[in-house]
Amino acid sequence: MLGASIVTITGNREAFIENYKGILEYTKESIVLQGKNCKICFQGKELSIDYYTNEDMKIGGYLENVRYL
Amino acid sequence: MLHWIQYIKGYVTIKVWGYSMERFLNLCGNHDILVWDIEDHGDHVTMKVSIQGFFALKTLLKKTGTKASVLQRHGLPFFVPKIKRRKIFVLGLAACLIFWMVTALFIWDIQIEGNYSLTEDVLMDYLESQGVHTAMKKGDLQIEELERRIRGEYDIITWISLKVDGTTLIIQMRENEMPDYDDSGEEKGDPQSPAESGTDLAAAKDGVIVYMITRKGVPLAAPGDTVEKGQILVSGAVPVYNDDMTIRRYQYYEADADIMISYEKSLSVKKDTAYLEKEYSGREKKILLLGLREKEWNLSAGKVPFQTYDILGEKKQVQLLEHLFLPAFYGIKYAKEYTMIEKTHTEEEMTQIMEEEWNKIMQTLEEKGVQISEKNVTIKKNGQSWTLNARMQLVEQAVKKVKNTTQQIPVAEDVQEAAEE
Repeated sequence: MLGASIVTITGNREAFIENYKGILEYTKESIVLQGKNCKICFQGKELSIDYYTNEDMKIGGYLENVRYL
Repeated sequence: MLHWIQYIKGYVTIKVWGYSMERFLNLCGNHDILVWDIEDHGDHVTMKVSIQGFFALKTLLKKTGTKASVLQRHGLPFFVPKIKRRKIFVLGLAACLIFWMVTALFIWDIQIEGNYSLTEDVLMDYLESQGVHTAMKKGDLQIEELERRIRGEYDIITWISLKVDGTTLIIQMRENEMPDYDDSGEEKGDPQSPAESGTDLAAAKDGVIVYMITRKGVPLAAPGDTVEKGQILVSGAVPVYNDDMTIRRYQYYEADADIMISYEKSLSVKKDTAYLEKEYSGREKKILLLGLREKEWNLSAGKVPFQTYDILGEKKQVQLLEHLFLPAFYGIKYAKEYTMIEKTHTEEEMTQIMEEEWNKIMQTLEEKGVQISEKNVTIKKNGQSWTLNARMQLVEQAVKKVKNTTQQIPVAEDVQEAAEE
């Protein structure tokens, strides 16, 4: 699907997201990103953004759940 | 790799706080400003951003109403100005590094282990002659070749190992611990293996034999005989007789005998009573000197203001390590003024001088193992000089070895065969 977000999760420690539009919310406990058609919400503890660019970003910390809103 | 690039380009850790943090982060992304290691601390967020990026943040901060402050600076662009203020330190560090790297290319010390009879000086001289010395380049050292050469030069070395440890050349060796017995003579004297041609003993002086004991060989002279220099006293060719007392053949030995020859010797020593003596005036000039290789410079100004003077002093070579001498030296010289004064020895002095002369003669004779059976010493006094005349009868083992020249007689069988023919 053209423009859909790709989320790659390694264990519960790393998430790698491509094709996102922007950051809607950022705290230690949750990160919400805007995709093309939906929002993606990562919840967990000690979440941090290792790096991000316009195309992709990497999230570190202890992931507990991923929700599409 | 990325880490290194970031370090070289330089980056800062910043603290960002304010209302719309997410908007700020999105704008950073949109403006291609790379930020990383973003951590939320509740009331503020910390992140890392490149130097260029940090300056570009200004407008974004204004737009989003967030504030930022620098917490830490990282990377080369911040480190260089810091050390620029310490130029001498950096220069010293670099010079030190270069110095160690260069000095590590040379041999600075030579250690010799396991030598007993071969002295260190002898070995050092040999090494020097082979071009091995302190402050030589490590690369010029050919260890295997040098080992082989040293072994070839000194037979006493049974094992040798050279190794370079850091900047030290360590030479380990074993010497032949068995004493070098010269038993070749004994073997030659063995009747089972007679030598090709033995040696004779010949008189080394004209004189009269006073004592003679032959251990090996055929005596050709007897005590009481007058002999001439070069005359053969003991022959190394011992004849083996046939039943009819004709000589069958010769067995050759190294002739050995104690032969004392008595001979007369006279000598005279002349000493002048007048002599020159240096009288030091007590005036002296101190000269400091510095030297480099063969050249020498006096540090004290001016010429030595004396007409005749002796120079006394010492030079010291600059030494860094036990075997490492620099080619520079320093020292002090003293120029001592003197005047020559003609003096005459007194009678007592002359007697003493003559006695000393005589003692010297006696000592040399004693060292040679010469006995004096008779002596007649006279001292003639003249106005200007004294002359010591001595006539001595000396007894000495005055023999020397010469090659035996007695021809071997053809083997008996050959003679028989010849007769049959």
